Amino acid sequence: MIDQHKFKYIFTHRLNFLFGAIIFIFLILLIKIFYLQIIKFENYSSLAKNNSLKILPIPPIRGQILDVNGEVLAENKLVYTLEINPKDRPNLNKIKQKLTNIVEITKYDLKKYNKNLSDRSYSSTLPIKSNLTETQVAKFVANQYKYPNIYLKQKFARFYPKGKSGAHFIGYLNRINQKDIQKLKKLDRFESYLGLDHIGKTGIEYFYEDRLHGHPGYKTIEVDVQNNVIRTVKTIAPKHGEDITLNIDYEIQQVAEKAFGKYKGAMVALNPNNGAVLAYISQPSFDSNLFINGIDETNWRRLNDSTHKPLINRVVSGIYPPGSTLKPFVALAALENDIRRPPFSIDDKGFYSMPNQSKTFRDWKNGGHGEVDLVKAIAVSCDTFFYGLGVELGIPKLNSVLKRFGFGEKTNIDMPNEKRGLIASNEWKKSKYNKKWYQGETAITAIGQGYTQTTPIQLALATAKLINPNNDLRPHLLKKLNTSGHMKSKVRASTNTNTDTDNLELIKKGMSLVTKEGGTAAFIGRTSSYNVSAKTGTAQVFSLKKGEVYDESKLPDELKDHALFIAFAPSENPRLVIAIVVENGGHGGSTAGPIAKKVFDAYLNGIN
Amino acid sequence: MNQFKLYSLFKNIDKILMSLVLFLLLIGLITLASASQQNVNLIGNQILNVLIGMALLISLSHIDPKRFLFYAPYLYIASLILLLSVAFFGFESHGAKRWISILFFNLQPSEIIKITVPLMLAWLYHRLQNDINFKTHAIASILLAIPCAIILKQPDLGTTILIWVAGWTIIYLAGLSKKIMVIFGFVIALSIPYLWSILHLYQQNRILSLIDPGRDPLGTGYHSIQSMIAIGSGGFLGKGWSFGGQTQLNFLPETSTDFIFSVYGEEFGFLGVFGIFIIYFFIIYRCFDMAKKMQNTFSRLIAASLVCTLFFSIFVNIAMVSGVIPVVGAPLPFISYGGTSMVVSLAMIGIIMSLNSHKSLIAN
Repeated sequence: MIDQHKFKYIFTHRLNFLFGAIIFIFLILLIKIFYLQIIKFENYSSLAKNNSLKILPIPPIRGQILDVNGEVLAENKLVYTLEINPKDRPNLNKIKQKLTNIVEITKYDLKKYNKNLSDRSYSSTLPIKSNLTETQVAKFVANQYKYPNIYLKQKFARFYPKGKSGAHFIGYLNRINQKDIQKLKKLDRFESYLGLDHIGKTGIEYFYEDRLHGHPGYKTIEVDVQNNVIRTVKTIAPKHGEDITLNIDYEIQQVAEKAFGKYKGAMVALNPNNGAVLAYISQPSFDSNLFINGIDETNWRRLNDSTHKPLINRVVSGIYPPGSTLKPFVALAALENDIRRPPFSIDDKGFYSMPNQSKTFRDWKNGGHGEVDLVKAIAVSCDTFFYGLGVELGIPKLNSVLKRFGFGEKTNIDMPNEKRGLIASNEWKKSKYNKKWYQGETAITAIGQGYTQTTPIQLALATAKLINPNNDLRPHLLKKLNTSGHMKSKVRASTNTNTDTDNLELIKKGMSLVTKEGGTAAFIGRTSSYNVSAKTGTAQVFSLKKGEVYDESKLPDELKDHALFIAFAPSENPRLVIAIVVENGGHGGSTAGPIAKKVFDAYLNGIN
Repeated sequence: MNQFKLYSLFKNIDKILMSLVLFLLLIGLITLASASQQNVNLIGNQILNVLIGMALLISLSHIDPKRFLFYAPYLYIASLILLLSVAFFGFESHGAKRWISILFFNLQPSEIIKITVPLMLAWLYHRLQNDINFKTHAIASILLAIPCAIILKQPDLGTTILIWVAGWTIIYLAGLSKKIMVIFGFVIALSIPYLWSILHLYQQNRILSLIDPGRDPLGTGYHSIQSMIAIGSGGFLGKGWSFGGQTQLNFLPETSTDFIFSVYGEEFGFLGVFGIFIIYFFIIYRCFDMAKKMQNTFSRLIAASLVCTLFFSIFVNIAMVSGVIPVVGAPLPFISYGGTSMVVSLAMIGIIMSLNSHKSLIAN
């Protein structure tokens, strides 16, 4: 039995309790709202903005690469691609089927898509088909409603109109991979690549990436929950990449490439007065356009596995024994140490005997050259003269001159992957092979056949320094060399060689006689309207056994000697220096010489 | 004469309570206008809902509580039949069968139950007021359990809990001994694993995503996260009416109905939220005050139960949108768009006003 008063008492009591509970609950809710709106305001505010504001990068247009006359070497072509967003978890087979009527998605396309998918992460969509034809584009647009998750993208793609020509120095772009991303992040330049897929991988495209690339702009758009664009809030225009003008004269380049023909090797032509590179050849070459969207496997295998190594940029990465092209520098070393100065001469019988040893070294000419002084020794490339010279001079004194002329050091040309070459020495042999240096090695080093190795660009620079010993020369492809910035390595431009001009005159006299009657490249002089100074060289690829005679016709191509050639013209007032290596070309004068001759003709007499 | 008639029409209306409610209705309409992105049809409909509700409120305020007492069992049974008919004739929406089409409007019988169950229980305790014992509470529990079970099957967990709370408020206020309450609490705690197992997967997911809203941000946690972003980004002063980005760009779901409070929070900020809390608080305070002054068991229990139901609706909705409890789908009284909810909430106020103004009519 509960009486009314007691009931009312319990009721009122419990109602009060409920009221207290309600106040408590209200407070909890209020605290939660306070937490959301006041304490976490910044957090939720930015979340709200991220929700509705989307920032889209506007990619910059990459700068063009032009030759000295404005001929386009690398440009941007408008292409259409079909792209899909990996986040949509697309079913590739289904997409392939759906698109059958418009365009065929090949196995290769799918492979490329999957490769790109694994390579990179920050662009929203990836191409499933590139380079659509106009008909394909029209068909797709007409049926677009059928393909809600396939996007037709219009973008600029890199195009190399010259194809194989100049491919090594122009370089190429390729898709950004994980390694590039890490590097860009390290350089704090990752943001510059938002919305972009490509980056320079070799050549000028790589070396001047910063300038060619530009900086992306941004578009801030407001979207609703379905990603429909409501309005554009803000647009910051991109800073497009700079066009780059090179010193390369494409007309000369073409002449040189034609002259090179099917030979393998490298050639560089530069202005000895400022180091400007006018022609740059590395053979065999490849079509840079193959790389732009990721090279396919067949082509990659063909290029990468070829014994001819077409991907190597031979001008800066090819390492060759200098052969007799080293002789002018060896001769200079002798003069500086005041030995073998004309009228000193020797009577060359065709071999050289080491003092106090029975060992003999043969001259390239059986029977020898007769009476030979230093000037004639250069002109006829007398080995006997240089064997003795080298032995008397000694390796340290020789090397100090070679070093001054840039051997064994990078020239710091504006190209990636430059090799240093090698100046062989006592200490080098000790540390590398832990073996003693023999005097005989000094003798063969003096004719350029020892361990000492050089790159074609080093040869060209060293030759230019013979002409302009007191200029700070640095070979460069970029027309306007902005030394204040953008240069990647610590600039160590080749310095003043402090060379006595009288000594140089003797060397140059010897070189000028090379193209005269009796010289090793006499045919050049016979047919030229200007004077050419040169030095031929032959570098052994294959060592003959003792007593064996080198017979070019009996050797397979890949064992034939490399033909080398350095030259400048006109002799009196040089405007062009050329360095050539023709791999397995045999004798320097006969294969490399004519190539140089054609380039000189084109440059000095004009192209007809 | 006219003036007199008008006066007599409103004579049972409690001015303070009415002004608070009207103020809320106004806030609701203003918010709805923004939440619906100035959808004139929707606003028109809601105004109609308010007018129907107000007409019902005024009518109910005139009804003699004796009639409530008399009709309580019939209303209870009728609403149960209505509820059952949903299972047979009702139609589905959003994966749940809750609505029934009657004449030209869609009715949600579970909303009506919110009134008929308290009426029924209050009737029971009023009838047996001189002999309230364990048996009485047991009967009340069964009367409560029947509609709860039906609604849970619809499925509508939110409304089930709401009705359950309304019923237990009455049983509690009617003097259920503390000992039994403790035992009951114990039983419930033990049956939680079982209750969990009978929950639908989506209900389980909702509870899980409450514990960790980031668990599946585009799935079950999505509504909760978007709602919290909306409220949180409102800050102290809010973004201003119709300037709520979350709302206007449709990131927020169900802006007109269940998540209207998020819209309000985004656009009017903490200050606005505080204001609405104050109004709700005073509505409840006023009703409690009235209930305490009532003269008979029936009135007191109904008034208290209806207020608690109202409060609990408010709590469930705000707690849901602010991420305190899982998303259960419950409208905010007087604010959310929706005919049944609006009419029922106003009807509750009407009944309380009737009970308040007829204190002396049902003497014990």
